[in-house]
Amino acid sequence: MEQYAILSTGKQGALGAIRQFLTSLLEKKLVNALLVPLELPTGDNVVPTIVSRPEQIQAANPLAPVLPVNAARLVSRITLLSPSPEKLGVVLRSCELRALVELVKLKQALLEKLLLIGIDCYGTYSIADFGKLVKESKSPTEDFLKRAREGKEDPVLRRACQVCAYPAPMGADITIGLFGASLDKGIWLVAGTPQGEKVVQELGLEAAKGEERQSAVDKLIEERAKKREELLKQTQEAIKGLDKFMATLATCINCHNCKTACPLCYCKECFFDSPVFEFEAKKYLGWAKRKGALRLPNDTLLFHLTRLNHMVSSCVGCGMCTEACPNDIPVADIFRLVGERVQKMFDYVPGRSLDETLPLTTFKEEELPDIGV
Amino acid sequence: MKEKRIGVFVCHCGLNIAGTVDVARVVEQIKDYPGVAHAEHYIYMCSDPGQELLRKAIKEKNLNGIIMSNCSPSLHLNTFRKLVASEGLNPYHCEVANIREQCSWPHNAEKETATRKAAAIIKAVIEKLRRNISLTPLVVPLTKRVMVIGAGVAGLQAALDIADGSYEVVLVEKSPGIGGHATQLSGTFPIAGRVPCMVSPLMSKVASHPNIRLYAYSELEDISGYVGNFQVKIRRKATGVDEAKCDNCGLCLESCPVKVPSEFDRGLTDRGAIYIPFPEALPPRPVIDRATCRHFNGGECHACEETCPQKAVDFQQEDIIAEEKVGAIIVATGYELFPCNGLAEYASDPDIIDGLQMERLLSPSGPTSGEVRRPSDGKVPEQVVFVQCVGSRDPEHGVSYCSRVCCMYVAKQAQLYQQANPHGQVYIFYMDIRSDAKGYEEYVKKVVDEERVLYLRGRVSRIFRDGDKLKVWGADTLTGKSIEIAADLVVLATAMVPSPEAKELARKLNIIADQHGFITEAHIKLRPVETLTSGIYLAGTAQWPRDLPDTVASASGAASKILSLFSREELLHDPTVARVDNEVCRGCGQCVAVCAFQAIELDPVKKVARVNEAICDGCGACAVTCPSKAISHKNWTARQFFEIIDIATAEYV
Repeated sequence: MEQYAILSTGKQGALGAIRQFLTSLLEKKLVNALLVPLELPTGDNVVPTIVSRPEQIQAANPLAPVLPVNAARLVSRITLLSPSPEKLGVVLRSCELRALVELVKLKQALLEKLLLIGIDCYGTYSIADFGKLVKESKSPTEDFLKRAREGKEDPVLRRACQVCAYPAPMGADITIGLFGASLDKGIWLVAGTPQGEKVVQELGLEAAKGEERQSAVDKLIEERAKKREELLKQTQEAIKGLDKFMATLATCINCHNCKTACPLCYCKECFFDSPVFEFEAKKYLGWAKRKGALRLPNDTLLFHLTRLNHMVSSCVGCGMCTEACPNDIPVADIFRLVGERVQKMFDYVPGRSLDETLPLTTFKEEELPDIGV
Repeated sequence: MKEKRIGVFVCHCGLNIAGTVDVARVVEQIKDYPGVAHAEHYIYMCSDPGQELLRKAIKEKNLNGIIMSNCSPSLHLNTFRKLVASEGLNPYHCEVANIREQCSWPHNAEKETATRKAAAIIKAVIEKLRRNISLTPLVVPLTKRVMVIGAGVAGLQAALDIADGSYEVVLVEKSPGIGGHATQLSGTFPIAGRVPCMVSPLMSKVASHPNIRLYAYSELEDISGYVGNFQVKIRRKATGVDEAKCDNCGLCLESCPVKVPSEFDRGLTDRGAIYIPFPEALPPRPVIDRATCRHFNGGECHACEETCPQKAVDFQQEDIIAEEKVGAIIVATGYELFPCNGLAEYASDPDIIDGLQMERLLSPSGPTSGEVRRPSDGKVPEQVVFVQCVGSRDPEHGVSYCSRVCCMYVAKQAQLYQQANPHGQVYIFYMDIRSDAKGYEEYVKKVVDEERVLYLRGRVSRIFRDGDKLKVWGADTLTGKSIEIAADLVVLATAMVPSPEAKELARKLNIIADQHGFITEAHIKLRPVETLTSGIYLAGTAQWPRDLPDTVASASGAASKILSLFSREELLHDPTVARVDNEVCRGCGQCVAVCAFQAIELDPVKKVARVNEAICDGCGACAVTCPSKAISHKNWTARQFFEIIDIATAEYV
């Protein structure tokens, strides 16, 4: 059961209140360190940083509408070999939190001693668009929030964010709630687990009901669902059939950036980087002879299909793959289109709960009767 | 990669291959393929002269890789691998290119295409063979003990055969006594005989056999391991009676104030909460049924404890988990009957009984001492109606299959009733009579000819109570007339269904149960007493409805399979199993989840997958699941597949 408390903002604004909240977590030793995005001195980007000294929190900005990296990947980096030795708070957006849950299921991260701090997300810009925003505005984060809360469509938002199905975090110990709150008065702190409740209690905050948040979330989800329908339809049309699909992927240069940016692609060595894909010259010439011509780099289609095959049931739709593509291939749109269907087929929402096992490696006697295996 | 000197041997298989594939042209096309040092064709490669050709070529051409292009590898791969090994080569450098089942047979109308395809198949296998590594079979220890689950006739016979073969047997039976449903039967067919005369000696032989350890009132709790090396945990349910003290005097049985329907008499009589299933039951000791015992249900009752002169009743007794190590397992979990009230058209009535209840009524040791009396008022019935195929051959209301024993036992029951009640009248509704074993047809004919039995071909639409009688509405499809009978007793020959626990047990044992719950055999014709999990066999009606002769035959079949397994000192396991590249493995555990054989675990320290090669069946599920292909299949690597696919698809891309 979720429990709401109010984090009053006053003059310092929402960002100030959040910084104060994070600072007191460190000061009161409720956590020993925090993984949180910090503003760069240049101000045009944020970088996830492990902060252990409270005064450093003054540069923290988890509200900045930019996602340079899906931080689930970083949590996996930190906890892959052994759990965190001390209490570590991790501030994550919904897509990061869901990716983290998937990584835990894949044994690539350990949650022990972590305090999962989710944050309501209005969406993010690409790094370049965020840079533009910073140039144009004195207080970019506040301006963005103001615009987002007016409910107008923002075409600059990353496409993955425009169609996001889960803007509110799931499964966090504590969520920093922005939806439905009046930012000049206060924002919510939502405890979602006993651990979260304990932290909120320690901070001695005033309890609240928070119905406004739920209805605001529902409204946002509904708007984005419409947008998603539209996008899926367009994507479906754009990649229908082998020819169109090949054309969509035609500019792929096999850089594997999408794989590197994907929070879930967890292999130590990608199969496509392995010697299995090293062939002798006569093979290449043989293929060219056989088909008349061989487009290079080859195996790009196989690479994307394989990544779909491996990752799509767990894809959280964070869109980092599209961001990473140097040639603007809409990788995330393709993953959304296929992912939506695959996940529905197994009634599986990646990242929803640790209790839901990975659908492709879970045996059920009665499953997919239509396929008739 | 060290270049192999490959020999290709193309078999005609008489005209099976050569009638479709131009074998001479295939040899022409293959002989210059990279790596091929020799190629020839011959009428029957598996024949002695064919094998001699192979031997000669290996020696003369100094071959170290062999492609046999002939029939399916399941037929002759081992033949040729043995030969290759006897010539000093590692047998895993011999492969079969299947150009019969996968080429000449399906393409027998397309000679040109078939010839091209045969060459492509051979080239593909050459590419695989070039990348094969030498392997040695794994040696696995063999525990020569057997666990038999279920002590009905099938389990008893199998246990006895194995024990007589001088191996130890652990016999596990869930109910308090051994013998199964056969102990309930009144007589046998086609030769009239008393079942006790058949089952009792079997029971006592098993109970006193020095090689058989009996766990009655026990169930399989847990199992791990693999063929030759199963570790099993058996839950010995608390009987509440100290075996060492009890002298089976029976005083406790009379003292018990509880009355519940007797399973043995199928509800025709009552038993106490402390009970023995039937007087001659083995082992001869009572058990306390805790579900119905007053002591265990909030009461203060100590009746049996106070009565027992031996002070053998022990309410404190707890379940014991016994651990046993066995090398093979026989599943003989038997059958139950489709419920009498399973069809809405037939009323629930004490005088509508099933076949086993009728057996109890006909049995000299039964509740009526063998004189058929109807359960409601003890009257001897004069009009008796039998209905065959109740629930069976009826996929809409029951099960689709034929229950196989009903035609025969109905004839037997009709005969026994008629002989004792010459003035009674028997009606039998049937769909058709299935009497397809030795002496069965003659037996049924005798009943039809000699007894006052009216066989009516047709189904019964309704049965309901009408005063003192049961109204049976049916149809005689031969005369096209509808029939109404006022019966005193109705016997429903309900379908045999598998034991309800069989599905759960199958899951534990990692074997397959079909949609009904019957255990699935490895091959319905060629491996009928084996399951797909090696080391686990099946016997009796756990597999399918069977009568006693078939049950005993299948039990002895399973036992003989195990005796032949035990004729070896150790087991050899195919080495084409999964292997893990520790450098690449990320320890995600997806391979662990998909392995149907529980052959993979995660190394807690290195955090990589680890394969137990002795359990690995080489199915490859892990290899296709692993995203980085850190786990792969020996001699079936991803690269080998790529090469095969590359050649197989060459004409199409």
